[in-house]
Amino acid sequence: MILKIIASSISTITILLASGLPLTAKTAEDQLGREIRVPDDPKRIVALAPSITEIIFALGQQGRLKGTTQFSNYPAEAAQLPKVGSYVRLDLERIVALNPDLCIAIKDGNPKAIIDRLQSLNIPVFAVNPRNLESLLQTIQKIGGILNASAKAKTLVEDMQSRMQQVDDLVSRIERRPRVFIQIGISPIISAGSNTFIDELIVRAGGINVAAGKSAYPHFSREQVLALAPDVLIVTTMARSGAFEKAKADWSRLSHMPAVRKKRIYMVNSDLFDRPSPRLFDALEILTRLLHPQLFEGGS
Amino acid sequence: MILNLQHHITRLIWISIILLVVLFIAFSLGLSIGPTHSGIRSAFSALFATNESDSILYSIVWRIRFPRVLLAAVVGATLSLGGLVFQALLRNPLAEPFILGISGGSAIGAIIGILLGLSRFPGICFTSFLGSLGTLALILVMSTGKSILRKDALLLSGVMVNAFCSAIIMFLVSITQDARLHNIIFWLMGDLSAADLPQVVILGAILIPCFMMVFVFSHAMNLLMMGKDMARTMGLNIKAVTLTLLIVTSFMVSATVSFSGLVGFVGLVIPHLLRLVLGPDHRSLVPACLFGGAAYLVLCDLLARTLPQQGEMPAGVVTALIGAPLFIILLKKSRK
Repeated sequence: MILKIIASSISTITILLASGLPLTAKTAEDQLGREIRVPDDPKRIVALAPSITEIIFALGQQGRLKGTTQFSNYPAEAAQLPKVGSYVRLDLERIVALNPDLCIAIKDGNPKAIIDRLQSLNIPVFAVNPRNLESLLQTIQKIGGILNASAKAKTLVEDMQSRMQQVDDLVSRIERRPRVFIQIGISPIISAGSNTFIDELIVRAGGINVAAGKSAYPHFSREQVLALAPDVLIVTTMARSGAFEKAKADWSRLSHMPAVRKKRIYMVNSDLFDRPSPRLFDALEILTRLLHPQLFEGGS
Repeated sequence: MILNLQHHITRLIWISIILLVVLFIAFSLGLSIGPTHSGIRSAFSALFATNESDSILYSIVWRIRFPRVLLAAVVGATLSLGGLVFQALLRNPLAEPFILGISGGSAIGAIIGILLGLSRFPGICFTSFLGSLGTLALILVMSTGKSILRKDALLLSGVMVNAFCSAIIMFLVSITQDARLHNIIFWLMGDLSAADLPQVVILGAILIPCFMMVFVFSHAMNLLMMGKDMARTMGLNIKAVTLTLLIVTSFMVSATVSFSGLVGFVGLVIPHLLRLVLGPDHRSLVPACLFGGAAYLVLCDLLARTLPQQGEMPAGVVTALIGAPLFIILLKKSRK
């Protein structure tokens, strides 16, 4: 029986392999440098991360989107789309059930095994790999390109570049860079080290990332944070009830810390800071305001 | 004697047929039920469809669910057979690869293999085997003399080996930033979701000779259960048999661990259940455990896939929820 099942499944696999290719397709190079055959006019896209969903909405191409991952909550419309598991734990069956003609994946987070399985099922997977703000702009242009929205992508990218330039101009006027500690995990205390978006945001916004170092997401003890003497302490949170208040109260007891003395402990929305999406530029502006409020006094 | 043998063979055939039917039902359920396309009838029609009238459903059933169900069957068969062998060799009803720490050792080996960037075959499979041999040696050293034959000593050494293994695993996880370990927690709880048909076929091809070997030794296990002296008088080379079986079983278990992580208690539940129904003869128990264990894990994995509203949970959660209470009951009974 089992042999029969195996035989019949192998024969169908061959049939599917032979017939599954889309009729009109173009070739595009994804951000991992792979040549991917994608449909000319993709109509059933599954976005495999919240950031990709946000990019597709920002490009005005949400009509093509048929599925997304858990926690894809922005814009509000995205929350209504069918979910295919979380971006680190994709549910293969739910993806295939949506009959996608294209999946857009992100290298950092999506499990490679599932991506390989999708490709073996003849579903084209276009992978993006934004490593910093500059390559995020490329990501947006790449996605714009395969969704036939290059013009929109261009205006989006130009807008972001000018916003980035504004921040750079403002920051060039500062005299002193404050020492910043951004806490992305409450228990244990986790921060973002070098080669992360958060590190780049801190530096661009005119701060010193005290957590910079060879590890991307280093863990800290309370004592180590105290020793780093941050001037500003920022807690990213998903606005869960009271988590920030508790963290703030815990830090406030350590009155030796400059950030506590100067009352510079802030909360920011973690979705803005940990998703490589257009909203990362909102995060940059928010962070610049928090680090250098004097730059914004009187003006804007 | 010949009459006895003939009776035995008919019995073996009947047991196999009944359990194969059970396995077949489990397979059909496993293929028909999933988070999408809730209509069982439509999924059933996809089971027997030969064309691609509904190609999505077809791909889901045959290319996503089928490898997974097959993996669950292979892992379930291996683990329950592993439990049966350890129970016979150690003459202890509570022995089981997970409880003894053999699975934990394999997991350490597999994680080291992943961190070294080895491929699953033969790399991770091999490091996982080394890990299981390591813990096996540790268990045998800890139990020099006859103490392992006592339940309490076995449990204590198992608890210690397991604690040590999980400490090493946590150590490895905490010193690495490796993205490949993202899903490690799921994997440690027994995860069958990464099943991929060619790899499952390779796993099956590795394991089937092991199954046959254990079956060949099933009469020897019967003799071992009667006690060492008795076995020796019956002309059994105890050392050779024990060593061969221990190594073959560790190999089987480590191969499945490198695929599916730690699925616990299958080797406890199935052999005990079948022993209650079929009696202590290993010549029937070996094939019964293979088919029964396969059907059991297919059904447990089905629960793991369908119970949660969002996503799924590891199959090891289901087997532990069923197995751990049974373990406590067995322990209490054996104390009396």
